[in-house]
Amino acid sequence: MIAIFKREWKSIFSGMLGYSLCAAYVLVGVLYFWVYNLLNLYPDFGYTLYSTTFAMLVFIPILTVRSLAEERRARTDQLLLTAPVGVPSIILGKYLAMVAVFTVPVAVLGLCPLVMRMYGIVSLAKAYGALFGYWLLGCAGIAIGLFLSGLTENTILAALSTFGVLLLSYLMPGIQTLFTVGSLLALGVFGLLAALAGLLAGIRSRSLTFGMLVFLGLCLALGLLYGLQSAALTSAFSALLGALGLFTPFESFIYGIFSIPAVLYYVSIAALFLFLAGQGLEKRRWN
Amino acid sequence: MIQVEHLTRRYGSQVAVKDLSFTVPTGQICGLLGPNGAGKTTTMNVLTGYLSASEGRVIISGHDILEEPMEARRQLGYLPEQPPLYPEMTVEEYLRFVAELRRVPRTQRAEQVRKAMNRVAAADMAHRLIRNLSKGYRQRVGLAAALLGDPEVLILDEPTVGLDPAQMIEFRALIRQLGRKHTVILSSHILSEVSAVCDQVLILSHGQLTAQGTPDQLAEQLADRTRLQVLVLGNAEIAARAVHGLDGVQEVHAEEENGKTRLEITLNAGADQKQQAAVSLALAAAGCAVLHMETEALSLEDVFLQLTEFDPQEEDPPEPPEADEDGYEDDVVEPDEEEGGPQP
Repeated sequence: MIAIFKREWKSIFSGMLGYSLCAAYVLVGVLYFWVYNLLNLYPDFGYTLYSTTFAMLVFIPILTVRSLAEERRARTDQLLLTAPVGVPSIILGKYLAMVAVFTVPVAVLGLCPLVMRMYGIVSLAKAYGALFGYWLLGCAGIAIGLFLSGLTENTILAALSTFGVLLLSYLMPGIQTLFTVGSLLALGVFGLLAALAGLLAGIRSRSLTFGMLVFLGLCLALGLLYGLQSAALTSAFSALLGALGLFTPFESFIYGIFSIPAVLYYVSIAALFLFLAGQGLEKRRWN
Repeated sequence: MIQVEHLTRRYGSQVAVKDLSFTVPTGQICGLLGPNGAGKTTTMNVLTGYLSASEGRVIISGHDILEEPMEARRQLGYLPEQPPLYPEMTVEEYLRFVAELRRVPRTQRAEQVRKAMNRVAAADMAHRLIRNLSKGYRQRVGLAAALLGDPEVLILDEPTVGLDPAQMIEFRALIRQLGRKHTVILSSHILSEVSAVCDQVLILSHGQLTAQGTPDQLAEQLADRTRLQVLVLGNAEIAARAVHGLDGVQEVHAEEENGKTRLEITLNAGADQKQQAAVSLALAAAGCAVLHMETEALSLEDVFLQLTEFDPQEEDPPEPPEADEDGYEDDVVEPDEEEGGPQP
């Protein structure tokens, strides 16, 4: 695992990729810091960090795309999968290398509260608590990117899908407000999800009948739910969307709350997607 | 030591390798021969654990590749068709990375990397970026990586493809040298290479093993004829007529040149000294002095073509399902059109 970690780290910084990514990220962060905290004398560093989270939408896809998709394309995954190294080691090695790369600009931004301190009274605990939450948010995003990168050989597709997923997550609060309108809309969306589930089931089992049965079964369940307790449907839907919003738990850090549930949420997301990434690698063997 | 038992590998509904069983004892160089698409690369991928077998077992040095993957892989060195090289690393960096991956102890890493580089004669490229290397050197680096950790088994997939003739000769000499202490499986569709380097040859066709044995054994086994090349002093017609009626002669070709005739006599298989003596005496009786006589055995190329021409799948076409007594057909799963072949 350490060998893979070292190799990935060296590879990211061998060309201009690592340096330019980190520099660009620091630039964005420092720009917001300058405008919010220094010019407008806003004492909350957490809020500044929250405003820079959009930069992750670009940073994470570019960082994670070459981790698994590139290996598959260049066939170097043959080296890793035939070496006496377990799949968990491979995944963890790559993940930790990317987290380390992400930590570099975050560490640089960590100097900002100290700068603020020179000019006034700043709650360092609040600022660094927010920074920690911010870092966890990035780590969860990187895990998602790693998983999506392992699904395809096409690096552009991997980058775009990671960007898409993170964008959806980013816009989730807005999307959530759209859907509190009516339970009918919720029904429609759940119906679509049921269709997707049916399609996946059908493809996996290679049988049209099974797929259709799954779809019909889910529709029936949804219909019953809608008929009997439509409010439950809307709230369930809201909850589902809430869970998909990666950026919302971070908000509690802005208000100075070191939210343990948020920390757990990020750690669980990271663990889940790392597990799925490992499964994706193993699946290649059996295909 | 490699043991393969009833190995089958399917890609969806297509069978790439079917019921393959063979053993390669320690210290032997085994050649996997077959036309493109025969299943050589698939077999090697399953042997190394990159792919799993749909059915059957692979045992490397006493460890099942799927049940004890770590131990088995420690004994394996693999050089795929396209060496898995990272273009942004230098040769030395890459080899050190592979050494670490293969669990070579830290203290021995530098030493083993140096030895591997010297073995493949790539030491002068140690600090060059892999993306700047020529194909020949990339193959060498790939082979060096396969040697790291001193694995007992080496699996080489078409190792000399793309090399120039001089490099090919060097490579083959290297493989022969390696074969003394390692168990080597190499795949190729270059027949001369296989017959020059290998102790045992396996011929694959359409995923099935169609022949097995040493290059000479195979040639002998499948010979249905022997050819005699004879140079006589005399007229072509007289010489041909003299030989034509003899026992076991299938065909005679005669060519005259400056008073000498070159005869090509095709005899039945198992023609031995008696037939040769009969031919020689018959020619002498006809007044043609025999200047030179040579037997030409069936070459590996002929064996190969003969074995890979016939398609085992065409032998028994699947019968259409018939209705049972109760009037219902047995459940037949139709092969999926889109699932054919390995997925990208």
